Amino acid sequence: MRLESVAFRYHRNDPWVLRDVTLSLPPGQVFEVTGRNGAGKSTLLRLIAGLRKPRKGVVSDRPERVGYAPERFPVDQPFAVRAYLTHMAAIRKVSADAVDTWAERLGFGHLLDVRLPELSKGSAQKIGLAQALMDDPGLLILDEPFAGLDAATRDALPGLIGELASAGTTVVVSDHQRCIEALPGVDRLRVAEGTVRRLAPEDMAEPTKGDATAAMKGDEGDATVGMTGDANDAPWTVLEIVVREDEAETVKTKLRADGYQVRRPAQ
Amino acid sequence: MIALARFQMTGYMRSLRLLHPLIVVALIVALVLLQGPSGSEAGKLAVGTLGDVAAFMFPVWAWAARALLDTQPDEQRALSSTAVRRASVPAWAGLLAAYCVNLCLGVLALAVPLLQAFAAESPGRAILTGVALCPLVAVAGTLLGAWTSRAVLPDPGVSLLALLGGAVALLLLGMGRLSPLSVPMIGWIRSAHDGPGRFVSDFPAIALHLALWSLVVGAGYVLHHRTRH
Repeated sequence: MRLESVAFRYHRNDPWVLRDVTLSLPPGQVFEVTGRNGAGKSTLLRLIAGLRKPRKGVVSDRPERVGYAPERFPVDQPFAVRAYLTHMAAIRKVSADAVDTWAERLGFGHLLDVRLPELSKGSAQKIGLAQALMDDPGLLILDEPFAGLDAATRDALPGLIGELASAGTTVVVSDHQRCIEALPGVDRLRVAEGTVRRLAPEDMAEPTKGDATAAMKGDEGDATVGMTGDANDAPWTVLEIVVREDEAETVKTKLRADGYQVRRPAQ
Repeated sequence: MIALARFQMTGYMRSLRLLHPLIVVALIVALVLLQGPSGSEAGKLAVGTLGDVAAFMFPVWAWAARALLDTQPDEQRALSSTAVRRASVPAWAGLLAAYCVNLCLGVLALAVPLLQAFAAESPGRAILTGVALCPLVAVAGTLLGAWTSRAVLPDPGVSLLALLGGAVALLLLGMGRLSPLSVPMIGWIRSAHDGPGRFVSDFPAIALHLALWSLVVGAGYVLHHRTRH
């Protein structure tokens, strides 16, 4: 699949969200899309998924079967989980057995009779993943799939993504929480200032300063990070935070979601 | 397409939004239509009522279609679009779902006037014409509703104004010189009240007018759906 000189803006007189994006997304490759909030990551994912048409440029050779899991699964629907997924399986022309298969793999078998509006954020996220995965997609697009997931699914999902990629699926993941960075062979795409840049391996080892600084920009009360002047040029500093043992994972996830590096010292 | 249409219809019915047009139809049937025609011209009046039903159901069909298409949250519309493999399928499936629901509403609205027309011994061909008119008008009503749905007009206030304004504008347009551009509502009401013979003889022209109007407006809707997303 290829994006050739793609540009997009929502309305005619709006500023461009993305300009001159040229990308090749070969089968079997996993792409991690990074960038600060509002940089255009979700717009890029929607262009790749075919949910938006580019104003300029061409998207070609998109696989026929596309799986898309949005950042926020739409729970405001009058269905129980099983009924919803059975409908989605019928729409995708796959067997209804896929519902039970994916319920077992993603660990939500006990929620099949629960109504969608009653689901927690993490559980809803799993339903969004299941409907995207049930069709054995040739192109899988996941927008912040790890947000709110329980630890077991969060740990299992990178393996699942790797498995799909090795079977030839092109996977594009927007992941603030850095859960797939450990996956071998992940390409990182950086969305910033209306462009998309493929990061070299050495760039991938650096902290995502842009993410962190952008997250801090709008938070005037957070003086402890000691940032001055232009936020993008500000130095990094180390801040110790003491939390309760049972809250450590949650805080770590939240801070990573905001673009900070988090290291936990050995105990 | 059938699976997506079924999904949308199920969602609409489970959300209980169907109750809104259902209550309106039930009220009209109970307060207006149950008082059937009587006297020496009962047969003619009963045929006129069939034309009236198609006319007052036009905005109800548009309203129900808009509500059905708006039942899916925007993000679900995106998920449904990726689940089907052709870009035009969601538009067709939405129209099909809305049309099926509108046909059911039409049956409910027509049941009492039809019984009254049979009881008043209206001519069979005029009754059949009244029955044939409703599905054609339901297509036009469904399309007006589709054009005012959230996928086309995201602002709910603008969308509601467009629905009401559209229905009134089509009625007013049908009275003047530009009536060929509108739904021939005035034409079929007048023809139905002029007598069974006139209703039957005018029907082919009315049906052709409705079909052409629906073709143009429907093609525009599907094209808009394909180019916008």
